[in-house]
Amino acid sequence: MNKTYTLIAAALLAAVYYSSQVWAHHAFSAEFDPNRPLVLKGPVTRVEWVNPHAWIHLEHTNENGEKEQWMVEGGTPNTLLRRGVNKNTVKPGTYIIVDGYQSKDRSQRANGRNITLADGKKLFMGSSGTGAPEDGAGPR
Amino acid sequence: MKMKLLSLLITATLAQYATAEIPRTASGKPNFNGNYDTATLTPHQRPKAFGNNLYMSREEADKVVAAENEAQAAGEKELDPNREAPPEGGDGNYALGAGGVGGYNTFWIARGDTSLEIDGKFRTSILYQPENGRYPKMLPAAGARMMKKYASFSKGNPGYAWWLEEEGPSPYDGPESRTLSDRCLQGFGSTGGPPMMPTLYNNFKRVVQSEDHVMILVEMVHDVRTIRLDSKHVSEDIRLWMGDSIGHWEGDTLVVDTTNFTDNPGNGRATRDLHVVERFTMQDETTLHYQFTAEDPNTWAEPWSGEYTWPKSPDPVYEYACHEGNYAMGSILRGARLLESEYKPKEK
Repeated sequence: MNKTYTLIAAALLAAVYYSSQVWAHHAFSAEFDPNRPLVLKGPVTRVEWVNPHAWIHLEHTNENGEKEQWMVEGGTPNTLLRRGVNKNTVKPGTYIIVDGYQSKDRSQRANGRNITLADGKKLFMGSSGTGAPEDGAGPR
Repeated sequence: MKMKLLSLLITATLAQYATAEIPRTASGKPNFNGNYDTATLTPHQRPKAFGNNLYMSREEADKVVAAENEAQAAGEKELDPNREAPPEGGDGNYALGAGGVGGYNTFWIARGDTSLEIDGKFRTSILYQPENGRYPKMLPAAGARMMKKYASFSKGNPGYAWWLEEEGPSPYDGPESRTLSDRCLQGFGSTGGPPMMPTLYNNFKRVVQSEDHVMILVEMVHDVRTIRLDSKHVSEDIRLWMGDSIGHWEGDTLVVDTTNFTDNPGNGRATRDLHVVERFTMQDETTLHYQFTAEDPNTWAEPWSGEYTWPKSPDPVYEYACHEGNYAMGSILRGARLLESEYKPKEK
């Protein structure tokens, strides 16, 4: 293990054991491959409003013009429900842009590191064109 | 001496609650039934800048809220629609469980929107003992245990099967090698505890009380604590994810004693010998005061205590059917097998 990873390990231990308020359900590092960054663009085909994490499916068109079915991982839907956002907020056909990293198993899965609409606004925070209700615009 | 004063202060505070109007059951006991939103922006541990100061000013408390709002706003900012993929090798973000690949947008996160206030005074931390409001130093053996237990977090994320370079079982061998929260067996961040701590999101609790039991449903992972009143602990051979909890009334306070943990209590540092005593008191009609002391001779040389309030909430506790949607587990294990199959030993 090189020095960088030793430093990272120390920082991670601090994060894991001393500030549980900033911890998440599972280790993203275990699931996603840092050597496979990507950008996905295309219409939403389905929203899986499930715990522990929601998954948003989209149809991405690759460099060769072929259509690929991808799914990207978000967070717990419970938080969004409390903000007035539900599984019907994002309609199928809504064009989204996702940047993240592909799953280590190289299936067509990625983390929803950033999920935005076509105009760059964050998903669920966007304009009425997304169907997002006004009260979904920010934390209460 | 200061500790003694603090204890007196807390006792006095609780005594004061005894005279307040609180909901009661038909038999006259304090009535805890209801839903609570236990999120608070006040951290478990006190930021070092506050030293031994348990309290902060309203201005300082407002700053904590402003910082959280800023962080949320920053996370909600729009991005360039023509942005490129993040950097190869990882984005350098190792916070928030991001593991160098990022986590997810802030709109999924709900850490609360207020600083903790008890008796009109804002708190710098939930912990008040030790005096510096920080977890006691871990014993050396506990530190080593932690590194091993959380190897998949602490080894970074180099994108190859690093575990093949080390002796012994790896954190990727199978589902049982993963943490309890990865496996949907227990919420992370000690949300179900005990002691029960606020975490990144889903901080709701539902309390259902009868004459001889108190049940606490924790939103995250459906952790359910069943506290038997005026009972005895089960045999020490019986070990439970959230320990064996028994309770009794001391005046209007429900005192809960928990032992019989497994090797993996909600508090990720502790062991099966963790012992937690919690005190639940209704301080008024809509606020539950929650206090706890935890000790574990395998982890810390001294006990630690904390307290915070649980305001009642009209919101429901939502379902959290974790197993059903836990696609991450399959991805983690399949990914590990793939990386193992591609692993090339380093040239010596």
